[in-house]
Amino acid sequence: MTARSARLCLVVDDSRVVRKVARRILEAHGFAVEEAEDGRAALDACRRRLPGCVLLDWNMPVMNGIEFLKALRQEFGPDRPPVLFCTTENDISFIEQAIESGAQEYIMKPFDADILVGKFAQVGLL
Amino acid sequence: MDDLLADFLTETSESLAELDVALVKLERAPDDSETLSLIFRLVHTIKGTCGFLGLPRLERVAHAAENVLGRVRDKVLPVTPDLVSTVLAALDRIKDIVAGLAATETEPAGDDATLIAALDAVAEGRAAGAAAAGIVAQPPEAAPEPAAEAAVAGQTIRVGVDVLEDLMTLVSELVLTRNQLLQLARSQENASFAVPLQRLSHITSDLQEGVMKTRMQPIGNAWNKLPRLVRDLARDLDKRIELVMLGAETELDRQVLELIKDPLTHMVRNSGDHGLEAPAERHAAGKPETGHISLNAFHEGGHIIIEIADDGRGLPVDRIRAKVVAKGLATEAELAGMSDMQIQRFIFRPGFSTAAAVTAVSGRGVGMDVVKTNIERIGGTIDLKSVPGHGTTFTIKIPLTLAIVSALIVEAGGERFAIPQISVVELVRAGGARQGQGDGAEPMIERIDGTPVLRLRDRLLPLVNLNDLLQLGGGTESAQDGSVHIVVAQVGASTLGIIVDRVFDTEEIVVKPVAPILRHITMFSGNTILGDGSVIMILDPNGIARATGIAGGSEARTAEAREAGRDAAGMATASHTAMLLFRAGGAEPRAVPLGLVARLEDIPQERIEFSAGQPVTQYRGRLMPLVPMAGALDMDKSRQSVLVFTDVDRALGRDRCMGLVVDEIVDVVEDQLRIELTGDRAGLLGTAVIAGNATDVIDIGYWLTQAFRDWFRGNERGGPLQGARLLVVEDSDFFRQLLVPALSAAGYDVTAVGDAAQALRLRDAGVMFDAVVSDIEMPDMGGLAFVADLRAGGGWAQLPVVALTGHAGAARIAAGREAGFTDYVQKFERDALLASLRQCLAARSDARLAA
Repeated sequence: MTARSARLCLVVDDSRVVRKVARRILEAHGFAVEEAEDGRAALDACRRRLPGCVLLDWNMPVMNGIEFLKALRQEFGPDRPPVLFCTTENDISFIEQAIESGAQEYIMKPFDADILVGKFAQVGLL
Repeated sequence: MDDLLADFLTETSESLAELDVALVKLERAPDDSETLSLIFRLVHTIKGTCGFLGLPRLERVAHAAENVLGRVRDKVLPVTPDLVSTVLAALDRIKDIVAGLAATETEPAGDDATLIAALDAVAEGRAAGAAAAGIVAQPPEAAPEPAAEAAVAGQTIRVGVDVLEDLMTLVSELVLTRNQLLQLARSQENASFAVPLQRLSHITSDLQEGVMKTRMQPIGNAWNKLPRLVRDLARDLDKRIELVMLGAETELDRQVLELIKDPLTHMVRNSGDHGLEAPAERHAAGKPETGHISLNAFHEGGHIIIEIADDGRGLPVDRIRAKVVAKGLATEAELAGMSDMQIQRFIFRPGFSTAAAVTAVSGRGVGMDVVKTNIERIGGTIDLKSVPGHGTTFTIKIPLTLAIVSALIVEAGGERFAIPQISVVELVRAGGARQGQGDGAEPMIERIDGTPVLRLRDRLLPLVNLNDLLQLGGGTESAQDGSVHIVVAQVGASTLGIIVDRVFDTEEIVVKPVAPILRHITMFSGNTILGDGSVIMILDPNGIARATGIAGGSEARTAEAREAGRDAAGMATASHTAMLLFRAGGAEPRAVPLGLVARLEDIPQERIEFSAGQPVTQYRGRLMPLVPMAGALDMDKSRQSVLVFTDVDRALGRDRCMGLVVDEIVDVVEDQLRIELTGDRAGLLGTAVIAGNATDVIDIGYWLTQAFRDWFRGNERGGPLQGARLLVVEDSDFFRQLLVPALSAAGYDVTAVGDAAQALRLRDAGVMFDAVVSDIEMPDMGGLAFVADLRAGGGWAQLPVVALTGHAGAARIAAGREAGFTDYVQKFERDALLASLRQCLAARSDARLAA
C-alpha cells in the first residue's frame, strides 16, 4: 500500500532551476514539494509515497514525461493523482499526447505564480 | 547573487560543455539519434529555464537554435557542417551571454539579429551558409570564461570548491600535527597513549585519502573543449582531423587538472596546426587524408601519464636546425654533434616557434617552452618522440596531486631540505677525488673543466654541491671518510647529482607555497613543516640545474662533457669491457656486461610474492617479475641477490623492469673479452677467460624473454619499418651474438659478417640491404675505411650506416661523419641503436617518397 498525501506535489523536471521556481510558488501556497529529475526517479518517488498531484515536464533523460505518465496511470489508476503537464510553444503536439495519456491539464513554460496557481485551481487542487 | 541565478549558471555551463562535445559527435555520426535527442534536450532545457529568469536575449538565441535542432530531429533537415557551425555559433553566443551574466548578474547588451536570422535561414532550409553570414567569425574569446564552468559535473552533491580547499588545508595541518605527535611519542616512555595515537594516525591517513578523493576529477573534464577546438581548427585550416580520446575517466587532483588544461589545449592545437599535413599533402605521402590526434591518459605508479600523439609529418629536424642557428641558440658545430632527438628538443627552448608565419591558430606568442615550464612547475616532465613522416608523440608525466608529496629529506651545511621523490632517481655514495683508483666499490668524483662529475655506470653525471650552491659554508664535498652522498635527480631528459652531507628518511610532506619574498629563487619549489616542527625548504632540481647552468636545455654540453670525460679517462675501450661477475646455480663464475645492468638489489625473502606461479616483487611502485637463474628460488635464503634490468623509454610510455635472481654477486672487473662460443646451452653465449678464470657469459636477451615474451618486440610499436634488411659488420663474436638476436627480435631481417672485406664482397655481388650497422674498431679494414669505401660508389653509396663504437668522443664523431657514417651509437646501448635505425630508415623512406 502506498500512502497518499493530498498536499504533496511532486515536481518532475530535469532542470534544477525550474524545480526550484515551482517549489517556491507551491510552498507559498501550502504545498509540500518533492522533486524528481527524470521519469524514472519520479516513478520511484510515487511508489514510495503517492503525491497529491504531479507537475510534469516532458523532455527528460532516462524516462520522458509521456512514458512516466503512461506507467503512472497503468500502475495507480486513471485519475489519481492529477497530473499537470508542462510544455513550451515548440512542442504543442505533445499536449494532445499528454492528455490522451492521462494528464488533467497543461501549463506553458515559463510559468509564473499566477499561471501556476490558476491551473491548480482549475483542476480543483486549490 | 540570487541562488536561482547561481543554479542557472552552473546548470547551463554544464549543459554547454556537454553540448560542445555532443555536437561534434553528431557531425561525425549524423544518424546517432541518441546524441541528437541529448542535444535537443539540453538546448530545450536552457531555453525553457531562461524564461523563468527573465533573460530575453538568451531565450531568443536558444529558441532559434532549438528550432533548427527540432527540424533535424523531425528529419526535415540533414546534419551538415554548416548547420552544426551555425548551432555552435549560437552556443558561443549563449556562452558569452552567460559569462556576462555571471560577471554582472544582468544580461549584457548586444544584438543577436544576424545570428537569429542565420539560424532561422538554416531552420527553413535556406542554408545560406552560416560562415558567409559572418557569425562564425565572432571572436568568443573576448568574453571571460564563465566562472561556474569548472564546477563538478554530474554528481549527487554540490560542494563549493573553496569548501574542499579548506578541508584540504585542515587535513594538511592535521597530518603535520599527527607527525609531530608521533615524533614526541617516540621519545616518551609512557605507552598508555601509544594505542590511541596509533588509531589517530590511521584515521588521519584515511581522512587524508578521503579528502584527496573528493578533489579528484576525471581528466575528461579538461578535454571537454578539445573536440570543438579540433573541429574548428580543421575547418579553419581546411584539414581533416579526427580526435581520439582514451582514458578520459582517469582521475587526478582538480588543482593539477586546472594547471594542465592550458598546456594540453595548446599542444593539441599545435598538433593540428603544425603536426598534421593538409589532405593533399597526406594523400601525396600515401597516408589517409584524415589525420589523427590522439590523447591517452593513464595512471602509472602515483603519476598520471598523458600522451598527445599525431600521425603527421613529424618534427622537421632541418628546419629546427636552421632556426636554432638563426636564433643563435646553438652553433652549427654544436648541432653537428647532436642526435636528431636532441635537436628536436630545441622546440622546448624559450622563444622558439617553427611556424613560418604566425597563424590565427598557433603562434600566439606562447610556445612549447611555456608548456614545458608550466608542466615542470607542477613537478611534471615532458618528452617527445618524433619520426619524420610518421608523426610526433609528446609524453607528459605529472603527479596525481600537489598538496601532499613524498619527499626525501637531506642535510647540507647543517640545514635540512626536502627533495620531491618524483625527481629522485637513486642515491649513490661516491669516493672523494683524493682516493686512489681501482678501489672498485665506490665510483669516483672527477673534475672536467673544473666541474665535478661522477663516473656512474659508464656515464658521467654532472654534480653540484648543495653547500656551495646555497653558500651554506658547510663542509667540502667529501666527509672525513672521503666519501659523499649524492642524490641523483631527474632534470628533464638528463640527470644531475646533488651532493649532500646526510640523507634521512622519505617523508610525506605537505607542500606550502614559497613566501613571495623568496619566490624569485627558483631553486626552491615550496616549504614544509616536518614532524619535529621545523620548517624546511623544498628543493626544485630543475631550478638547481638552471641555477648552475648544468642542464636546462644545455643537454648537448652535458653530453659533450660526458664524451670528453670518457676520452680523457680513456675508459670503455673496445678491447676492455666492464663485466659483473656472479654465481648462479653452481660454483663457477658467470658474467654479464655491467653496462646492461641497471641496478643491483638485495631483496628480502618476505617481499617476494608469487603471481601465476612466477615470483614477483614490489619494486619502485610496480611489480617486477623475478627470474631465478638457477631454475628455482632458494626459499631458505633470507635475502635474494637480484640484477635489475630496465627498459625505460618515456616517450613510448614504456617503463618495465625484470630481476634476474642469482646466488651471489662476486665482483666487477674490466677485462678483454674473448668469447669462445658454445651456443648449445640456453641462456649462455659462451665462455671467456675473465680475471684469469674461465667464465660463462650469459645471454641476457634469453633471460629477458623469460620474463617478458615480448621484451624486444615491444620496441617496434608503431614501427612500420619491420622486415627492413640489416647488415651487421662486427668482428667480435660476443657483440654479434648480442646484436643479432636483439635486432631480429625487433623485427629486422639481419645478416651478420665478421669483417669489412666480407661485407664488401656482398656489395659487389649485388646483395641489397636497407641499412648497415658497423663496428669502428676492426682489424684489417677499420670502420672508417669501410664506410669511406661504401660512400665512394657502388650500390650501397646511399645506405644509412650506423657506427658502433666503444668510445664516442666528439672528435671521433666528427671524423666518423666526415667519413660517411650516418649516426653513432655507443656499444651496449640497444635502445639507442634501435632508435637510430628507426630514424635512419624513416628518413630514407621519406626521401624515397619525395623523390
